[in-house]
Amino acid sequence: MTVPPLRTRKLTIIAQDPSVKIKGKILRTQVEIPAEELQPGPWGYRVHTVDYDSSTSTLYQPLKYPSLKDGVDGDPFKGASDAKLLSDPNFHAQNTYAIVMRILARFEFALGRRVSWRFDSHQIKVAPHAFADANAFYSDRDQALMFGYFPGRKGMVYCSLSHDIVAHETTHALLDGLRERYTDPSSPEQAAFHEGFADIVALLSVFSLTGIVETLIDLNAPRRNASQIARKLLTIEELRRSMLLGLAKEMGQELPAIRGNVLRRSVELVPARDYIKQREFEEPHRRGEILVAAVMNAFLSVWVKRLKALGQIAPGALDRGRVIEEGAAVADYLLTMVIRALDYAPPVNLEFCDFLSAILTSDREINPNDSKYKFRETLRQSFASYGIRPRSEGTPGDPGIWLGPEGQLSNERIHFESLQRDPDEVFRFIWDNRGPLKFYENAYSRVLSVRPCLRIGPDGFALRETVAEYMQILELQAGELRKDKKLRIAVPEEMPDDQEIRLTGGGALIFDEYGKLKFHIENRLDDGERQSQRLEYLWGYGYYRNPASFRNFASLHRQRATSLTSFSREDW
Amino acid sequence: MATSKPKSLTIRSYQVGFGDCFLLTFHYTGQNKDRHVLVDFGSTGQPRGAGENLMLRVAQDIKQQCNGKLHAVVATHRHKDHISGFATNKKGTASGDVIASCKPDVVLQPWTEHPKARVDATQAPGAMTSNKAFVAALGNMHAISGAVLLEAQRRKSMLGATLFRELTFLGDDNLSNASAVENLMRMGKKNYYLNFGSKSGLERVLPGVKTTVLGPPTLKQSSEIKIQRSRDEDEFWMFQALANQFVLKPEARVFRRAKTYSAQGAPPFTRWFLKRMRSIRGEQLLGIVRALDKVMNNTSLILLFEVNGKKLLFPGDAQIENWSYALSKPAIRRLLSRVNVYKVGHHGSRNATPKTLWAGFKNRSTKKTDKKRLKALMSTMSGKHGKATSSTEVPRKTLVKALNSESELFNTQDLKGKKNISLVCDIKF
Repeated sequence: MTVPPLRTRKLTIIAQDPSVKIKGKILRTQVEIPAEELQPGPWGYRVHTVDYDSSTSTLYQPLKYPSLKDGVDGDPFKGASDAKLLSDPNFHAQNTYAIVMRILARFEFALGRRVSWRFDSHQIKVAPHAFADANAFYSDRDQALMFGYFPGRKGMVYCSLSHDIVAHETTHALLDGLRERYTDPSSPEQAAFHEGFADIVALLSVFSLTGIVETLIDLNAPRRNASQIARKLLTIEELRRSMLLGLAKEMGQELPAIRGNVLRRSVELVPARDYIKQREFEEPHRRGEILVAAVMNAFLSVWVKRLKALGQIAPGALDRGRVIEEGAAVADYLLTMVIRALDYAPPVNLEFCDFLSAILTSDREINPNDSKYKFRETLRQSFASYGIRPRSEGTPGDPGIWLGPEGQLSNERIHFESLQRDPDEVFRFIWDNRGPLKFYENAYSRVLSVRPCLRIGPDGFALRETVAEYMQILELQAGELRKDKKLRIAVPEEMPDDQEIRLTGGGALIFDEYGKLKFHIENRLDDGERQSQRLEYLWGYGYYRNPASFRNFASLHRQRATSLTSFSREDW
Repeated sequence: MATSKPKSLTIRSYQVGFGDCFLLTFHYTGQNKDRHVLVDFGSTGQPRGAGENLMLRVAQDIKQQCNGKLHAVVATHRHKDHISGFATNKKGTASGDVIASCKPDVVLQPWTEHPKARVDATQAPGAMTSNKAFVAALGNMHAISGAVLLEAQRRKSMLGATLFRELTFLGDDNLSNASAVENLMRMGKKNYYLNFGSKSGLERVLPGVKTTVLGPPTLKQSSEIKIQRSRDEDEFWMFQALANQFVLKPEARVFRRAKTYSAQGAPPFTRWFLKRMRSIRGEQLLGIVRALDKVMNNTSLILLFEVNGKKLLFPGDAQIENWSYALSKPAIRRLLSRVNVYKVGHHGSRNATPKTLWAGFKNRSTKKTDKKRLKALMSTMSGKHGKATSSTEVPRKTLVKALNSESELFNTQDLKGKKNISLVCDIKF
């Protein structure tokens, strides 16, 4: 008789960061992540932690983890004292490893498949004490996540012990693997999306932990009651104060120095439809805050809606445990929604309106009935309050969703099996159907990825899909573009005729389980209006003078902390 | 008494290599009626062939040109390439001693230099007024620069020549220049610490000359155009300073009790990554000093002198963040559109002559015979700062091309040999 291998293991992490305490003790939790036999590091099949401090040239020796065989509890820091958690670099390594794995698993669950890193390695390197610097970042060139540390007022501050920072950087890495062209210079919204999306995933990941919700929910309560909570504390405004502003306040006092207090800034961004037209919000970090604000407001709205369905357990009071569970569940579901939407988003030149249509469509595919908690309706309203409307008109019953392809598509010469994994087969499909797909033929085209996925809906049924993405590139000079009557792309007046320009376009193809195309979600290379706006933005902000400044997470995060931008319309 | 207005002006652009030094001599009619204003005096690198003791020779020339009396000294901001010449020595023989002996009536500096704004930089920014917190952040930036310089020296062999040169250049330029700062505080009869819209302090010193202070804005003024400085930024610099200093401590290591590998004992499978991380450290240091250099540049005084409708603009090293407040005002934009003499910002770098400003200059002209043609003064030295491959070279070639094409350019790089230490530009009012 053998014991079946464990599928998951639990590891202790710090729930948010060491400053969030309960009864004077650091709030920690055990997170469930995929089980594996670890090499010292921790060094697993997707993450390799290397604890090297480049500022002091110190390489710390890693901890050896016990084998999980025979039902051993493989969590060496379960029940450890606060002092131990803070002073043992091996715990810091575990904290980063466990959070990275949790976020990775979250992405894989939502997308229904394995998610690869962008670079040519299965294992991302993680440096929990990379340097003495108030910074943390993802670097694809180095295949790594780097977390700095610095002396704070009450001792050393470690980015690797901050849940939201680790989750944020991991999300950059995962998003880069899923949509490699989102770091390309494009529109202010594509630049903002990486930061905004990473913030959203980080915050929802934190709020999906019941321990955090439980700690924050009492912030506005004059007196804590172990079993119930007053209904009057559960309005959107009260929850905004306790949950969102509360977390912003409770987060390590020194941590905003890493990249500014995005949560506070987003929460304070009261809904207004004209932000996206203001020059101030062309700056990618400011624009990203709009996206964060729209999603976090939706989080509170759905939570409050769900609480209305709960019965009172005493006059004016609800069951405390249920309230907390509902909050964490809403955060968890929203997290799944936003991650799943990536597959339904165009692979190039993304704008917030595209992402909103992607969320609405991907959720509808797996959860057609939204009538109970109205996640989709709430998101639509929340985005609209910030001036973001879905790119697609949708249908009367489901406003904002992508519509299916028009025209008669043919699968006659296509091999179904190959279509699920072979880029050449997918390209053949595109080429054979270039007429009905209105495929732009006069450009270099390449299928970037083909990914079969299996997602499980709330009703327990499986949804099988194949997601492919392709991109197109056309390089020509500004003078040629000016003369081109078909493309109708406006070239900035000051741009010289010999300026080389790269136009990009592309689309995501969603095939159903029979190989039939369900959606063709594209940002067209020959979309004159959007390409003109893109050129205007890139020219104005100096991309053509200094392309290198547009793609570097290390400097982007420092700019966010110092409010300095590295490119300006005013530069030579 | 001088007559009410000067009849002409002589501007001497001194050869200080990478730095600024301009002597403005306003000529009034009558005897001994010249009035002399020195705008900046600093350098971070001198050209080959400029000879020894260049700064001292420049100081002596200034003293000679002004007959031993300066009426005003302007120190636009505290970067070494703008104030190092004001440094003194114990013997009283340094260039700064020579300038101090010219007993300026007034010394003009930005508001961030006010002695009362100074604080213990290690205080928590949250406990200070926003102005003090910002000044404290500037102090922290000096500390960071000092630490980065030391760390760069330690890592010289790992950094590579290009990175090392840029790190040491920026680190050095952002050191605190204590001697020069002290001298500037002491040398004048009166000190003025200015911001946008404040009186210049030159009203009595330069009769008939209207001097408008266009920058730097105060933090309150900046907030009016939604450039709100947050406490997080000031805290960032405080923690960054602490981090950089921590590294310099002997045997700095965060976890003293933890087991480590010896320098040679790193497992082979970690070596590629360790090499990458060492390289990243150098890049991080450069990122930090670049950021603080920008903040420091944006404390620059921006002065506009006007006589008989002629306008002379001296913006120090101000970049767009400093300029934004002035340029947000239509009346100021109109005023600037008529500038006749422009001191090129930040030695001709790509981000210190805002395109909006340049495009607004109506006296730009490609006709060399045009009498109203804009005159531009540029004090710079190629090959010292930035690189062409990243479009960061100073002076920026696209800007220099525009300056050469649309203005009469006085470029200190045209000064050759030991004896030619200044370019002269005469203006008639």
